[in-house]
Amino acid sequence: MRARYPDVAATVERDGLALGYEVFGEGDTTVLLLPTWTIVHSRFWKMQVPYLSRHYQVVTYDGPGNGRSDRSVDPSRYAADAYAADAVAVLDACGVDRAVVVGLSMGGQYGARMATLHQERVAGLVLVGPALPLAPDPDRATIADNFLRPYPENPEGWDKYNLAYWHDHYSDFAEFFFSQIFCEPHSTKAIEDAVGWAAETGPDVLEAEAMRTPVGADGTRASVAAPETASEVWSQVLGDIDCPVLVIHGTHDRIQPHQAGFEAARLAGGELVTFEGSGHMPNVRDPIRFNLVLREFVERVAG
Amino acid sequence: MRASPPHTTSVIDREGVDVYYEVHGTGATTLLFVPPAPITHSQIFKAQVPYLARHYRVITMDGRGNGKSGRPTDKHDHTRAKNVADMLAVFDATATDTAVLVGHCSANWWCVEFAARHRDRVAGFVAIEPGVPFIGPVHQHWIDTHETWEAVLDDPQGWQLNNRHVYLTEHRRWVQWFFGQQLVEPHSTKQFEDAVEWALESTGEVLVAGDEGIAIDLPDRDEFHRLCAAIDYPVAVIHGDADICQTVERGREFAELAGGELHIIEGGGHLTLARDPVKVNHIIKQFVDRITGVPMQSHMWTRGMSRAKRVLYLSSPIGLGHARRDLAIAQELRQQRPEVEIEWLAQDPVTTVLEAEGERVHPASEWLASESGHIASEAAGHDLHCFQALRRMDEILVANFMILQEVVEDGGYDLIVGDEAWDVDYYWHENPELKRGSHVWLTDFVGYLPTPEGGDHEAFLTADYNAEMIEHIARFPRIRDRAIFVGNPDDVIPEVFGPDLPKIRDWTEAHFEFSGYITGFTPPTAEEAAELRETLGFGDDEKVCVVTVGGSGVGRDLLEKTIEAFPLAKREVPELRMIAVAGPRIDPATLPTHPGLEVHGYVDRLYRHLSVCDLAVVQGGLTTTMELTAAKRPFLYFPLSRHFEQNFHVRHRLDQYGAGTHMEYATTDPDALAEAMVREVGRAVSYRDVETSGAHRAASLIAELV
Repeated sequence: MRARYPDVAATVERDGLALGYEVFGEGDTTVLLLPTWTIVHSRFWKMQVPYLSRHYQVVTYDGPGNGRSDRSVDPSRYAADAYAADAVAVLDACGVDRAVVVGLSMGGQYGARMATLHQERVAGLVLVGPALPLAPDPDRATIADNFLRPYPENPEGWDKYNLAYWHDHYSDFAEFFFSQIFCEPHSTKAIEDAVGWAAETGPDVLEAEAMRTPVGADGTRASVAAPETASEVWSQVLGDIDCPVLVIHGTHDRIQPHQAGFEAARLAGGELVTFEGSGHMPNVRDPIRFNLVLREFVERVAG
Repeated sequence: MRASPPHTTSVIDREGVDVYYEVHGTGATTLLFVPPAPITHSQIFKAQVPYLARHYRVITMDGRGNGKSGRPTDKHDHTRAKNVADMLAVFDATATDTAVLVGHCSANWWCVEFAARHRDRVAGFVAIEPGVPFIGPVHQHWIDTHETWEAVLDDPQGWQLNNRHVYLTEHRRWVQWFFGQQLVEPHSTKQFEDAVEWALESTGEVLVAGDEGIAIDLPDRDEFHRLCAAIDYPVAVIHGDADICQTVERGREFAELAGGELHIIEGGGHLTLARDPVKVNHIIKQFVDRITGVPMQSHMWTRGMSRAKRVLYLSSPIGLGHARRDLAIAQELRQQRPEVEIEWLAQDPVTTVLEAEGERVHPASEWLASESGHIASEAAGHDLHCFQALRRMDEILVANFMILQEVVEDGGYDLIVGDEAWDVDYYWHENPELKRGSHVWLTDFVGYLPTPEGGDHEAFLTADYNAEMIEHIARFPRIRDRAIFVGNPDDVIPEVFGPDLPKIRDWTEAHFEFSGYITGFTPPTAEEAAELRETLGFGDDEKVCVVTVGGSGVGRDLLEKTIEAFPLAKREVPELRMIAVAGPRIDPATLPTHPGLEVHGYVDRLYRHLSVCDLAVVQGGLTTTMELTAAKRPFLYFPLSRHFEQNFHVRHRLDQYGAGTHMEYATTDPDALAEAMVREVGRAVSYRDVETSGAHRAASLIAELV
């Protein structure tokens, strides 16, 4: 059973693609919880929705490729700008002018683009463990190099972050990946949930997502190449944000280094709340503190 | 002593009337505190200013007619217009563009009028128990006595004292009645004394002029309502619901009219700022931060299970004795719980000892207002009225509690150990929702006792303080997770807390664990003692008498008397040598000299000298006398006069060990002192052993909680 069922559950079509969205609660202030990498869908916000919707109107939606949204295999649908356009379409469908926008991991890219391309729609932006290439991450470069190559005979760890391996051993990859996301001890339930959501989509969708263009038309693929170019592009994007920004980042984040969150806050002129000992999804593993920090920010920018 | 003095004070000449103001702290945001006048002055905000001045620039002013401002007796000098113009003069004199106004009672009316005239100077407004006209109901006693204001009443009683003639002829009586009614909260003796004292700094004549001046330029009802309804700056109203001066409905209606927020203090009277200062301070701080948009600072939150075990240790700064025992306990605690991190919130001189031992002193310690400085300021000659000194420390205790609360607020400490940290224990009982972490309370005495010279009133006061403590613990047993008495049940004095109150020993045994005494050192064996004497240069043919009076300047009189007695004693005991320790606050050069007498300002590890001396002459402090007891040295002790702890609690404890010779300073002349020195020096004593396992036991009791 869900702790809080939506008051509205509907779909909106943008450019031929159906996006499932949900609306909870009511209020003058709306909080939009963005999708993230489409390996999971909007249920990853389940620890936030019941609490926030007692105070605000909360909107969630599934990104293309998972949940109640169409399983697109068109890479252009997975570009950050496309996500920003989807988010605006969802706000339009809900009749919401402005919202406090919250993006986690890849959702940090979508939120940052939304705040620059559609700044009138964003009252404040929260970036959680944002997937922004703003800090040196040598491991990631190696992983990106190997992504399109054949995987080794006995793949270990991040060897599994490999396109061919996804196709051959999708659920094993998901289990590995979420064990890295949830590095905190005693995370069994969080891992089970996420692996379950991952099972609702598959390697074809993730492949399309991996081939996306992140920002503009410079051809860089965030997952697979050119970290230097990407770093410049994203620094520019963050510098252009003019709404209040809060970054939440765990010190033990194995997916995005804490340094990236620090840089994001600095570039955007925002605040940083560090979760010491937390991994990549503190909203799931430290939901109480996360909710309180989020509420405090929303109160301040929209209260 | 005040908790924190202003950095700027000045007086403005306002057409012949002085208006005094103070500036505290710095910051982008300024708060202006406006007291009602002439009934009181800016000290009414003494529990707010030290805390808020750590965050903002705080200006206080004395309204005309009280404090350090002028005392005009013409009612035309007390109009609303004059008071509002005074506020503007303070703004201008301090080069303040905008400020958040904080008013109490009738000063709130002036604040509203000020904002209406100078809207661009007002960033927000905190109205405490607002006395604004024409809003909400008025208490019937004001309506009734308004009628008889001018009359010369035959035998005025109660609220009838609100009368022009009574003000002029029996000013004190009115003031006492008025504040007696206001302070509806039990155990308000100190707040009552303060309020009466401040009111009496003015006169009945000025008070009459103040009351009558208000009526001169009172606005009409509709006009004032329009003014309030037009308020477009942020407003917060704080009001006790048992306010006998301004009805709580008045505060509520004002908040509604002004579109402001309302904070009701349930059970609070007209002086919530004095009686519930912690809550009022937090309301003001949160309001100011919200309206000035102070951003959430970047900060760190640590997952519960990623946290190291942390203990915050608060060591009482009054006397150095606690430092050594607290160190001994902390060291034992580390033995038992090696993973525990201990930090200290303490002040000079304790911090010096802690830092020398390599202990980690929390940086917020720097902000603490000096308790030992206050105690020193309260002492004169061989006299320290310890109980009244503690009562007069109220302002410092609030200021320091606010700092402690900031340090523990995020819940980062598993345990807070307070060795006679009165502020934490008291204010957590008064504000139980603020408790963070487990709490251990340590003390070496229980119960305030009146001194004989204090008479009935002092007996009433000590009983009232004891009753408040008993009620605190009965109502909120969850505030002290453990209470440790540093001593044994027999050390608890066989007295009662006061009329109709329990016996101190029964109550203490029911509410405390007993650690035994903690000296913080092990007395030397006979062999070690001989070695130590040699190290210290005590000759075999010498009889060494050590005189010490502790770290404060309190001891000068005893030092001088003992030095005067020295040649008399030396005549009888030629091998007598005297080492006098003056401490940091007495200049040794100002003391007389004699052959065989050495005077030192400071002696490193004095306890070593004490542990092998042939005689000691000391005050009645627990630490030093118990060190001498543990080392089995003969000693003469002179409790400070009117010091209830030294005269009753310590003396009783020493009697348990059969230790020391009690002397009375006032009745002992140098001849008698010399005679006692001759009798005692080098005497073999048969004191009971002082336990050596106290620190271990205390640490074990603490370790269970962490």
